[in-house]
Amino acid sequence: MALFEARGLHKRFGDRVVLEAIDLAFDAGTLTGIMGPNGAGKTTCFHCLTGYHRPDRGRIVFDGEDIGGLRPHEIVRRGVARSFQAINLFDADTVLDNVVVALPEVRRRVADAWGDLARDSGAQDRAAEVLARVGLAGRERARAKDLAYGERRALEIALALASGPRILFLDEPTSGLGADGTARLGELVSELKRTLTMVVIEHDMRFLFGLADTIAVIHWGQVIAGGTPRELRDNPWVARSALAEDPC
Amino acid sequence: MASLLKVDGLVKRYYAPGWPRRVAFTLEADFEVDAPRTIGLLGPNGSGKTTLFELVTGSNVPTEGRVSVDGRDIHKVRYRERDRLAIHYHQSYQVRAFRRTVPSFLLERAGRDRPRVHLFDEPQFALQDGYIGFMLDFFARLRREGNLVFLCVHPNEPWHLDILREACESFLFVRRGRVAPFDGYASLVADPDVRTYLGALAPPH
Repeated sequence: MALFEARGLHKRFGDRVVLEAIDLAFDAGTLTGIMGPNGAGKTTCFHCLTGYHRPDRGRIVFDGEDIGGLRPHEIVRRGVARSFQAINLFDADTVLDNVVVALPEVRRRVADAWGDLARDSGAQDRAAEVLARVGLAGRERARAKDLAYGERRALEIALALASGPRILFLDEPTSGLGADGTARLGELVSELKRTLTMVVIEHDMRFLFGLADTIAVIHWGQVIAGGTPRELRDNPWVARSALAEDPC
Repeated sequence: MASLLKVDGLVKRYYAPGWPRRVAFTLEADFEVDAPRTIGLLGPNGSGKTTLFELVTGSNVPTEGRVSVDGRDIHKVRYRERDRLAIHYHQSYQVRAFRRTVPSFLLERAGRDRPRVHLFDEPQFALQDGYIGFMLDFFARLRREGNLVFLCVHPNEPWHLDILREACESFLFVRRGRVAPFDGYASLVADPDVRTYLGALAPPH
């Protein structure tokens, strides 16, 4: 059975159907790519899967438990983490503190006041470990606002990792990155993929085709196609397109 | 058994502003589709293609006639459940809002979740990204699963016609508010009005 599964997700905003009927299944240890044109419903789908929107119909099951209708933080606590298209960081604080406040043990006693965190060396060590995983070792003391754009993307992934997830959802992680940044992010994602189940929304098809085990194409609020990158490439129209030129 | 879609004596009249009332545009349609199929819809801008889709999905109100989807009069179904019978996939800028005269609770329930009639209004086909192939597979899957698929395409590239020929089993050509049926691609592109519409894209005889 899949680690995470959605069946018949339907979501409308007023008169507009945004998700008609989404069926997705993510197996443990795999990376699933989600692609689709603008306005296809990809981000709304992520919002439903991670509790930010409540679907009008459909089931969402994580590790055997129906998590549909749970609030975002309850879903995070069960081991589901995500990033957002727009970067959300505490710019004035250090890289390390950004991660420290995202640690679950710290979040639980956030009322204890910020000041104590500086003295919680256990939390700082764990935050430093997370930063090392995303390639930000050595940058702990920098202010978040002083990071390069690619580093900010990595820090955002670190915030998601701080909750200790079993499945990680990334929403357009390459957005705004140049070729070098995208390549470095690709290395980071393939490293994370060794220990995590991942789901990645991405416009950059080459990025996705190189990393994903399976891909779901979302359009008109439905999964219109799916399969391994090779299966999708075998489609004669894909073979006619620019995608086919890439040899990976 | 009820037919999948019955467009019965459908008339939609638009009036020009001012007095006395003057009819500015009339769309007339009368056709029936018994079994699942994929139907291509073509016609010049302003000929009534989108209005026809709006009438079939029940967002626009006909002046005369009725539309039945799977045996249900779509205009008697609750507004927000009509897309469980017939769904119009449009470009977001095309969405038009219509006046609603009857409170929803007085109307009927759709009685199903998944629509049986799927109307695609000028999907964006771009050769570069390969999505066309996924879209065509999806149309074919909907058709295989027993649905009626409408594909409205405004051809301005030769391969747009390839898509229509590959995907559609029959066609409707809308011109000046009249809907003409064609039972296949060959008869469609042989029609003089269609050839005029296609212009330089019309395949050689």
